[in-house]
Amino acid sequence: MAPDLTIVTTAVALPFVAAALSPLLYRVLGERTGYAGAAVAAASFGLLATGIGSYGTVGVPWIPALDVGAQFTVDGWGLLFALLASGIGVLVFVYSAAYMHGEAGLARYYAALLAFMGSILGVALASDLVFVFLFWELTSLCSFVLIGHHTDDDESRYSARMAMVVTVGGGLCLLAGVLMLAAAARGALGGATFDLTAMIANDEAMRAALRESGLFVPALGLIVVAAAAKSAQVPLHFWLPNAMVAPTPVSAFLHSATMVKVGVYFLGRVRPLLMSPEWVSLVATLGLLTMTVGALLAVAATDTKELLAYSTASHLGLMVAGFGFDIVYGGEAGAFHLLNHALFKAPLFLVAGIVVHEAGTRKLDDLGGLWRELPVTAAVTAVAALSMAGIPPFNGFYSKELLFEAAYEVAHEAGGIAWLYPVVATLASVLTVVYSIKFLALFFGERRAPVADVHRPPIAMVAPPAVLAVAAVVVSLAPQLAVDGIVQGAVEATATGEARLEVGLPTHLSPPVAMSAVAVIGGFAAYPLRERLAAGINRGVDAPIPVRPSGWYDRIVSTAAPTSARFGSAVHDGLLRTYVGWVAAAGSLFALAGFAAAGASLGAGGVGGVRVPLAVAVVLGVATLAGVAVATASSHVSGVLTLSILGFMLAIFFILASAPDLALTQLVVETLVLLVFLLVLQRLPSFYSDVRPLAIARDAAVSILVGATAFVSVLLTIPRPDAEPTSVATYYTEQAIPGGGGSNVVNVILVDFRAFDTLGELLVVTIAAIAILVLVTMRTRGETVTEGDEEAVLDGGESP
Amino acid sequence: MRTTARVTVPIVLVVSISLFLQGHNLPGGGFIGGVLTAAAFVLIYVAHDLDYLESGVLGREVEAGTSVFEHRTVTAYRRTLLAGLVIVLGSGFAGLLVGDPFLTQGYVHLEGVPIYHEVELASALAFDLGVYLVVVGSLLTIVSVVSAE
Amino acid sequence: MSVALAVAVGGLFAVGTFLLLQRDLVRVVLGVAVVSQATFVYLIAMGGIDEGTGDLVPVLEVHGGGVPEVADPVVQALVLTAIVISLGTTALALVLSYRAYEENESMDVTEWKP
Repeated sequence: MAPDLTIVTTAVALPFVAAALSPLLYRVLGERTGYAGAAVAAASFGLLATGIGSYGTVGVPWIPALDVGAQFTVDGWGLLFALLASGIGVLVFVYSAAYMHGEAGLARYYAALLAFMGSILGVALASDLVFVFLFWELTSLCSFVLIGHHTDDDESRYSARMAMVVTVGGGLCLLAGVLMLAAAARGALGGATFDLTAMIANDEAMRAALRESGLFVPALGLIVVAAAAKSAQVPLHFWLPNAMVAPTPVSAFLHSATMVKVGVYFLGRVRPLLMSPEWVSLVATLGLLTMTVGALLAVAATDTKELLAYSTASHLGLMVAGFGFDIVYGGEAGAFHLLNHALFKAPLFLVAGIVVHEAGTRKLDDLGGLWRELPVTAAVTAVAALSMAGIPPFNGFYSKELLFEAAYEVAHEAGGIAWLYPVVATLASVLTVVYSIKFLALFFGERRAPVADVHRPPIAMVAPPAVLAVAAVVVSLAPQLAVDGIVQGAVEATATGEARLEVGLPTHLSPPVAMSAVAVIGGFAAYPLRERLAAGINRGVDAPIPVRPSGWYDRIVSTAAPTSARFGSAVHDGLLRTYVGWVAAAGSLFALAGFAAAGASLGAGGVGGVRVPLAVAVVLGVATLAGVAVATASSHVSGVLTLSILGFMLAIFFILASAPDLALTQLVVETLVLLVFLLVLQRLPSFYSDVRPLAIARDAAVSILVGATAFVSVLLTIPRPDAEPTSVATYYTEQAIPGGGGSNVVNVILVDFRAFDTLGELLVVTIAAIAILVLVTMRTRGETVTEGDEEAVLDGGESP
Repeated sequence: MRTTARVTVPIVLVVSISLFLQGHNLPGGGFIGGVLTAAAFVLIYVAHDLDYLESGVLGREVEAGTSVFEHRTVTAYRRTLLAGLVIVLGSGFAGLLVGDPFLTQGYVHLEGVPIYHEVELASALAFDLGVYLVVVGSLLTIVSVVSAE
Repeated sequence: MSVALAVAVGGLFAVGTFLLLQRDLVRVVLGVAVVSQATFVYLIAMGGIDEGTGDLVPVLEVHGGGVPEVADPVVQALVLTAIVISLGTTALALVLSYRAYEENESMDVTEWKP
């Protein structure tokens, strides 16, 4: 059964409509807007939930010529992601209503949050790559607004900008990759298309077409870079911890549950399309590296949200690594962990929000034993943190176990250096256990808090994480329930072949089970050593720039700004001649490069092209010499006189080129030009700038470049001597008498065939005449008004 | 100089008008005719001065001290310019009245006209007249304004 | 021999650009004029140039006979209007520079007040 287009479109459009209305809603509802947002999210969730099981593709064409359409594909993978986003969205809106109590700029906050949710639903369900890109960038944009919520805070602005630069930069890589895919689709699917579903359906033909055009590795690389930027993979992970300046609900929603998963989601989406040895070595390595680095940094973190941010990067690495392995378990690990991670990480963020809200600090060292005041929160945290650590039988264990199986199988098959995969995965899991316990220690152990009196949080803040924790417990106790419900569909959509996900607690000792055991035991064993571990990690982090990508970011940004300022003042110095020089030189270079790229050969019209009669050559030679004389003339008057020689030579040239009309006009016009020049020149000083050899050399170089371009263009475009007259010329010649009633073809063209052009040209001449008239009379009037009045007149003229 | 002008100006004017009229079938046309007419007037300016046209040819009194903008001849040139534009646009819109697209031209073939025996009357001639007037008007405006400086 | 055309167009464009880049305003205007002249030659060259005789003039025998081979009338029409327009623009540029000189008391574009 195909999904209903109206339902899908409504589900995606609803948040956007609500976002547009949110300023109004805020005016009516005040801080209760959060509940309205929750209702919108719930409506989208409900609409989408009706689509479970009815998978398929629906859409309406938008730009049929490019085969771009508002096309949505509902399958298990997209739906899983969309349901997660809208479901967590409901909880986050409820939570926001309590958490953001008394904050400023709430209308903007809710508008951005709603628009963000709509964009995520769009990314999840759109299967047209143009739409995917559009929604992808919209999520980055909303994230920018939300991270920079505290607009008066420098750090907030800095972080928002950093997130924007990294994720939008990644989005541009995605665009390039998408275009490459579309180009390959032209060959593979018989027509340019952006239809991702069709591409995946013909994945072998697509891969062959990509390989044939040599675009496979570039497209793969660009898409992976885009996903890495979005999903905070090493070395582009640095924006995520900085993004934690955002309000906590935003962190929970965007930076753990949804937006950062867009990259993972897209990797899962294109996995069947791009699966190859290159994919495995690139994506699996990237994922495991991020998993380890993220876990290391999380262990060293001193701040609750920082710890969670690095742990998010680490878990995203787990999912990316899962999708990286070309094995059934890998895809299962990625898809299942997407759900599990959302179920345990979002409540942890919300808990961190509760703690900072009630205890007033995010410093890990200042907090401990809070379970006495926050018993419900402590229980939620226990479930979520143990799940994060991958302790059986919590849900995080199942997906982590799948990754271990994938890594082990791949290593077992490939041998050699591939054994690093399971080793690194296990090491990262040891660290995961360490930082999970570290977070849990907020609530247990010795009682520490900067404030004596820790309040009970409002129910609206406790309920959302509790709901998620309950969901996590359900998935933990009956994993097969979740699998059958939706995860199986997601696994099928991302699998490269047949896949049937079976999960459950292990019943016998296998190598992956042993890896889990090592991770858990190692983690508990390493926990007491965490201080020393953190110190070691911090030494690495404080090392010189090369190992700190954020240092690179700072350096690039801080050099780019002054460099562009210098460049700007060099190119735009306010002198028209500089502009002309740059434009002429750049234009010529581009034209020449274009000719070279097109492989144009000078022989085409070439030396043997039009046979120019000797007389014409002589006349043109004199004209050119006259031109040179204009340039070298020592006074204005001699320059103008030589210009006239040039003009009269051209008149003769027109005669020789069988154009009597032109010759006549040129003769008279040349006379008039000479007259006007002389009239004006007698009022001007005979100023000639002092000769500066350097400037002359520079100008001459630009001129020669322009001249060379013109030279080459003429040789390339001139028609062959035996060429037929163009169809336009033939048509006009044939139609002159029957259609225009005149035998002077030129005149008939001017007044009949192309009369509209002539009208425009007359207007040009008229405007020139009026402008001259006004220029002269304005001056005589301008003498009587003061400067201030003149400006007032100008301003008045410009305003509508 | 003045003698030459006295002789040549009428010739140039006649030639320019004939160039304009025959333009549809022989070399010539509104642009050339207009430019040539303008050249004839410029010749007068060079030989005499800006006021000569009024005082010498038309026999009017010249008010001294007025600015170029209010100068009678310049006003006349501006009117010529305007008339040309009106004719151009009018000939264009005329086609609209009979249902043709903007600026469509037609022609009528007349026979039995004395001297010429047969004459074609093209509506394009009206358009060309507009072109002629615009060119004359604007060029002369330019030259007279500049030379008045 | 079409090299002669190419050399002329290239040379005129080069000279025109050189003049455009000068500090002296009048030479800039001269440059505008030279560049437009170069454009005329280029346009005509695009129409093709054959050994010039009266036969090629694009004026047909009055009402009768076939359509003879003539020089390309389209480029001629283009150039015809271009010539008149270039007169207008050159004059405008001149008057503009004259006014600019009056306002700034210098013909050197680099010495103008911002």
